[in-house]
Amino acid sequence: MKRFRHYAGLWGILTSSFIIFTAASSFDSISIGRHELKSSGLSQAIFGKAQTEDVQSAPVFENDTVSIIQSCNPEPVPVDTAAQTILIIGDSMLEGLVPRLAAYSDHNGHKLYAAMWYSSTSAVWGRSRKLQRYIERLHPTFIIVSLGANELFVTDIRRKRERYVRNILDQIGEIPYLWIGPPNWKADTGINSLLRDATADGCFFLSDGMQFRRAKDGAHPTRESAAEWVDSIMRWMPKSAAHPILMHTPTEAKGRPAKLWVHQPDEKDIDPDLK
Amino acid sequence: MECLSDLWQNVVRHLSYSPSEPMLFSSGTFWALFIIFLPLYSLVRNRHRQMTLFVTAFSFFFYYKSSGLFVGLLAVTSLVDWTLSRILARTKKQALKKLCVGISLATSLGILAYFKYANFFLWNISTMVNGNFQPLDLVLPVGISFYTFQSVSYIVDVYKGRVAPTATWLEYAFFLSFFPALVAGPIVRADYFLPQIREKRHVTSTETYTGLWLIILGVIKKAIIADYIAQYNDLIFDTPGGYSGFETAMGVIGYTMQIYCDFSGYSDMAIGLALIMGFRLAKNFDFPYKSLNVTEFWRRWHISLSSWLRDYVYIPLGGNRKGTARTYLNNFITMLVGGLWHGAAWKFVFWGAMHGAGLAVHKASQPWLRRLPDNSVVRAISWLITMLFVMALWVFFRAGSWSDSWTILHTAVTDFSFAYAPAFASARMLWLILIGIITISHAMPEGFWNKIGDAFVKAPWTVKLFIFIAVVQCVIELRSEDVAPFIYFQF
Repeated sequence: MKRFRHYAGLWGILTSSFIIFTAASSFDSISIGRHELKSSGLSQAIFGKAQTEDVQSAPVFENDTVSIIQSCNPEPVPVDTAAQTILIIGDSMLEGLVPRLAAYSDHNGHKLYAAMWYSSTSAVWGRSRKLQRYIERLHPTFIIVSLGANELFVTDIRRKRERYVRNILDQIGEIPYLWIGPPNWKADTGINSLLRDATADGCFFLSDGMQFRRAKDGAHPTRESAAEWVDSIMRWMPKSAAHPILMHTPTEAKGRPAKLWVHQPDEKDIDPDLK
Repeated sequence: MECLSDLWQNVVRHLSYSPSEPMLFSSGTFWALFIIFLPLYSLVRNRHRQMTLFVTAFSFFFYYKSSGLFVGLLAVTSLVDWTLSRILARTKKQALKKLCVGISLATSLGILAYFKYANFFLWNISTMVNGNFQPLDLVLPVGISFYTFQSVSYIVDVYKGRVAPTATWLEYAFFLSFFPALVAGPIVRADYFLPQIREKRHVTSTETYTGLWLIILGVIKKAIIADYIAQYNDLIFDTPGGYSGFETAMGVIGYTMQIYCDFSGYSDMAIGLALIMGFRLAKNFDFPYKSLNVTEFWRRWHISLSSWLRDYVYIPLGGNRKGTARTYLNNFITMLVGGLWHGAAWKFVFWGAMHGAGLAVHKASQPWLRRLPDNSVVRAISWLITMLFVMALWVFFRAGSWSDSWTILHTAVTDFSFAYAPAFASARMLWLILIGIITISHAMPEGFWNKIGDAFVKAPWTVKLFIFIAVVQCVIELRSEDVAPFIYFQF
């Protein structure tokens, strides 16, 4: 004990804070005032369902991978060959998706606008009228949503998120859309099945189960892998999408959107009516 | 049972090598491991053999977590170096000594050259002959540039008689693999570090809490400031010309601050961890953006690298002993080596060459500069010129290509307008606040930071706990989803 005495205080700080963060992360949410604290995820990392790397043993939810794919629009719909104004919104996954999608848009005569909101979730967009304002301003003819990656581990997700997902879909209204599911790096707690159920047939692309090369954070696909992700979506679109648009493979590897808006995680844009 | 099975699998997964999850000091895995490490270390701290064995084993595991089976390469390199150093110390034959140094340098630098520069070399050859370049499937072992430089300094110092070779391989392996400095420095020098291994460590609570304070500072710099401002900077550098001149200029300033916070934050954590263990690592950054000229900048930036380059490249080339022209040339060559050390790409060569040119110009201007009055106006202008020079060169360091660098600089200069400032300030308030904090921190005297550190050390335990928890929660709140690895991991 004598040898340890100079380390005792430091060790106590490290250990007790570790226990506090682990314990706190086992709660659904902790708020200070009106601010909901983000979770460290330690509890999930230690006690959560073990992650499996093998796609074959990918997690099975109430709607498993196969059933989700099979439930997609079985009858191919004729491709809409008109030039489109595409709006893509979502979280930081857009960093990887947009360059390749822009290349597709340039090549096929479409115009691409992108609105990336870092760390955003369906709740962040669903509580805001931001999407509606973009729609009023840009008049997109096709909308792509890439959200869900920040909600892989939300417990009781239907209760907490379904209304926000539906708010987003309400803002989209009658405009043809495609929701790109999150590229799971761990088993999710139900976001994919929630999105599949909430979206119309042929409007949801399940990314879970695909193999990605990941960036250093272990979550985001690398730029090359994200480009392949877009290629996969575009191959899927004419066969299974509810409203396929012209997306021939471009000659350029990447392009730039007509305009990219970036929103920071701390940006507050909450509509009281949508809370 | 399923719960226990998940727990076991999670533990195994966190302790296994995963290329996408290198061991970072700011990661939960390291945090948990350090909690286990600390009491065990305290038991063996002053038992030389057990301590070296325990810390070396932990360091090798740390390296395995970051670089997988390349840990074997580290073991082999250390064994070769140590064996040669023993032969070197025993023999009196000069030719054999030179042969030992030659073999050691060829081994260390050869491995570094293969992993780091082979593709660069082949690409250049292929370009020259209009060939179809197929890159070799090479993965750069994490931190190889750092420990290779340590290995070179050790063997050269033994050859020159500046340090005695370690008595055992274990001691040398301890030096080469010391986990706080293993993957991103500071570059530890044998003459400074080896005596510390042999000494008894008298660690006090003041030292352990000072170490914790340095770790907290490092976490704030790296995981809060650098990672947060990187989100905006990345947009600017990934879409050159896609933003207004004002936004682009802010991105350039942002990257200047990001690379400082990223690297110096890592160094602070490394120095803090070593201090907790009773080892002292030399200061690696000394408020570099206070510099009034390029020479001063290199005395304050990545000090362990610049002093290494001075002692093992610049001085062996002749230093300033062979005339003015040769001094400039030696400076230039040294900075070229420094540039190439950072990465196998022409942009790093250019970055190093321009810094070399900057050093030469500054030295050549000394007679004229000395005649200038030493007042605040001259100092402000000197600072501004130095900062513009350093910032412009960071653009080449960061941008994806040569043309991207020029586009960013061109946009920042020709399209610059303060009209964007109010909108920028309202959209990027937190980004601006963080940049402001770094700027103010540079403006504060060093004594101020020492006082803050002392206050932390003397604060009640509960206050320290609260500060630690608050900082960790800030990291969680602000962390980018795409958590950036330490920029210097790649070098």
